[in-house]
Amino acid sequence: MRKKAGRKSLVTLTTGVLALSLLAGCGGGNSNGSTGSTGTDSNPGTAAATQGAAATGADTGIDTSKKVELQFYMLGDAPKDLPAIQAEINKMAQEELNATVKFNYTSWTDWDQKYKLLLSSGQAIDLIFTADWTQYQSYAKRGAFLALDDLLPKAAPELQQFVPAPMWEDVKVDGKIYTVPATFKEYVTNGFVYREDLRKKYNLPEPKDLASYEAYMDGIAKNEPDMMTMSLNSDVGNNLHYIYTELHKMIGALPYGMGVKYDSPTTVYSYWGSDEQKEELQMMKRWADKGFIPKNVLNIKDTMQDPVTSGKAASMFGDNPNRFNDMKMKISTTHPDWELAYSPFGLTTGYATPVHPIHNGFAIPKSSKNPERALAFYQKMVLDKRYNQLTQYGIEGKNYTVEDGYYKLVGTSTSNGFTREGMNGWAWRNPEFMLLDKGFDGVKAIFDELDKIQKPDLFLGFAEDYTSYQAEKAALEQVEKQYLFPLEAGLVDDVDKGLETFMQKAKQAGLEKIQTEWTKQWEAYVK
Amino acid sequence: MRHRKRKSGILLVTQLPLKGTGGLSPQIVSGTRKGRKKGFWHELVHNRVLFLMLLPTLLFFLVNSYFPMVGVYYAFTQFDFNSGLFNAPFVGLKNFEFLWRSGTLVKLTLNTIGYNLAFILLGNVLAIVCAILLSELRVKWFKKLTQSVMFLPYFVSFVILSVIVYNVFNYDNGFLNTLLSQFGANPVDVYNNPVIWILLIILFYLWKNLGYSMVIYLASITGISEEYYEAAKIDGAHIFQRIWYITVPMLKSTFVMLLLFSLGSIMKGQFDLFYQLIGNNGVLYNTTDILDTYVFRSLKVTFDVGMATAAGLYQSLFGFFLIMTVNYIIRKINDDYALF
Repeated sequence: MRKKAGRKSLVTLTTGVLALSLLAGCGGGNSNGSTGSTGTDSNPGTAAATQGAAATGADTGIDTSKKVELQFYMLGDAPKDLPAIQAEINKMAQEELNATVKFNYTSWTDWDQKYKLLLSSGQAIDLIFTADWTQYQSYAKRGAFLALDDLLPKAAPELQQFVPAPMWEDVKVDGKIYTVPATFKEYVTNGFVYREDLRKKYNLPEPKDLASYEAYMDGIAKNEPDMMTMSLNSDVGNNLHYIYTELHKMIGALPYGMGVKYDSPTTVYSYWGSDEQKEELQMMKRWADKGFIPKNVLNIKDTMQDPVTSGKAASMFGDNPNRFNDMKMKISTTHPDWELAYSPFGLTTGYATPVHPIHNGFAIPKSSKNPERALAFYQKMVLDKRYNQLTQYGIEGKNYTVEDGYYKLVGTSTSNGFTREGMNGWAWRNPEFMLLDKGFDGVKAIFDELDKIQKPDLFLGFAEDYTSYQAEKAALEQVEKQYLFPLEAGLVDDVDKGLETFMQKAKQAGLEKIQTEWTKQWEAYVK
Repeated sequence: MRHRKRKSGILLVTQLPLKGTGGLSPQIVSGTRKGRKKGFWHELVHNRVLFLMLLPTLLFFLVNSYFPMVGVYYAFTQFDFNSGLFNAPFVGLKNFEFLWRSGTLVKLTLNTIGYNLAFILLGNVLAIVCAILLSELRVKWFKKLTQSVMFLPYFVSFVILSVIVYNVFNYDNGFLNTLLSQFGANPVDVYNNPVIWILLIILFYLWKNLGYSMVIYLASITGISEEYYEAAKIDGAHIFQRIWYITVPMLKSTFVMLLLFSLGSIMKGQFDLFYQLIGNNGVLYNTTDILDTYVFRSLKVTFDVGMATAAGLYQSLFGFFLIMTVNYIIRKINDDYALF
């Protein structure tokens, strides 16, 4: 009897503990909000303090008396050999700047959301990657970064000289510099990527425009039924829609269904609901019916490139020359009998825009505790050959060798712990120190070809300010995802009706207000 | 009479850890209701050792649950990188606007509540049934094995679950469609069929959580005194009568308690479950979108602390009113079962 009583209370205790753990589980999410406040609060203070300290030092150069650790943030996945590289860099940086650096990577999974959290949580970060596709302009406008105008001459005078003045001018938002642009001239315009060996094998047309691309895919679908004709994932907005509009000479990846053609930048119209859009959606419907777009495309989480390099997919609707080259190199080591070819859209549209300086850069967030040291370090990354080549190509002899002035990977891309530009160092490329891969000659050829038809990028300098329609914007994005993406992936049987529903929901979310506001801002920018 | 006493005994012990949140009046601890007349201070001095023991729990909830509530102010401000929490410009209810802008708030709220009701009711009923079945098993090794097998899915992460689900249901080479085509049947397009997902989501939730909630009931069942069953046996009750007239009523208090706990978080959907299984598939949103996933997606693109807090506040307030109402109703019906 007594034994039973003991067990009884144990049982009740267990019940209680389990119940409590349930409760604790529920409470976990509540504490999110407060963390940001303290972080952002303290920033202006520290920034002012470091500035004061520096002012007491000499006019040229910065105060390096205190040892600091810089937090460096880059998107994507860290290369395997990063710790070794970081140790090498730190040896030099410790001596020259009395600083060490920690290279942090976000991984590509949900990078956009991590990026936003990094900037708004107030976490101390000294250097962070910026690009048009990470919304540099809008973050800069909202004050997420430190203005570099006064810092540059003091902390990185050589870097200020090195980057051409027009580029500094181009990255300005509201008259201030917030990022250090990359100087390497390249094209990130898209082009068809396709398997040349399969094309030859089945005697298919070369994809040059939409019609020939479709014919190519028809042939693949017929002859290689187990292959995906084109690589796709759930991001159909970027991987189908914006590529389609690029082929139709839209000025850039315009939001909110705005339409501005490159040839007539002052004419703004609503692409959504237009016949032009209907044509796009009908085409996608046809592609889906033919099996080019998988039925569960919206649930595919792969990257776009992996299916191509692993041989699962036979083509890509669009990718840029550099990434094409990476894929080609990867394939050349893993499947030498395959052949990958590229056909830039510029040949169809008649023009190509070289990257805008905003496209690759590094900024110093407001939360940085050591902005001067960070900038001085970044100057080393760009202008010091040792730093630059180490972080771009790894350790010579171990990761790469130089042959006839060309870069050569040691081993294969899977066995080597640091492939070319393994740290995703697009922003600190220095044309003078660049070691090009032999395969890059192909890209060079593409670039040279595009150089002939180059026109400046008109869109990226535009910094949208959406504070006045933020609620509408958030609501609209949801409507887009729910009603437009399925249309853009050709999943909706009745295109007209689907489009009608989408337009009605979009209007309800405040589409008209957004479009009017955006148009107003755009017109002010174009003028 | 004996019956009633025991029951409140369970209730008392199980509720103790709750003190910080529930605001359970200290009279229950002191065991008398006289304390109320003599006032709070007398109570405090009288039971100072007990209150001292309570202090760590109180501090825990203060630091983790009450202080962060200051952040609620974010819901009414425009987030700004340059100013802290209290310097940010006040914008009133503007942050809440995006919730009803697209006209989906009602749908989202209904979806959230609907799924949670299904989870709570089906989950608890199934857990009770399984717990009773298990407790009646006499072969020890089989009982342990079954319990472990049912508990295991609880440790499968939703990310892994989503991969499994994708590989079972994807159209072109999923397990289901491969199987169907073996038998000559037409393939099923699961990922474009919103209705199926109502069932699938509930199914996967139950699969994952049944083992866990069952253990709680199993614990309560083990706590029921053998005497009742012996007495019932002597009176000639067969096994179903013993279950129906002894086990089930004895589980009522545990059921009500778990019900109230889960009702409090009814507005907080199983985010992981929905997000991992559905992800970006807009086709399925009409039947599978809950507040959490909607909010997450909206703010993934335009990250705005103000709007995120606003959405969280809406969820919490709704949950708060819900639990107050349900608790009030339960108290009216039977005072002993109410949480507070």
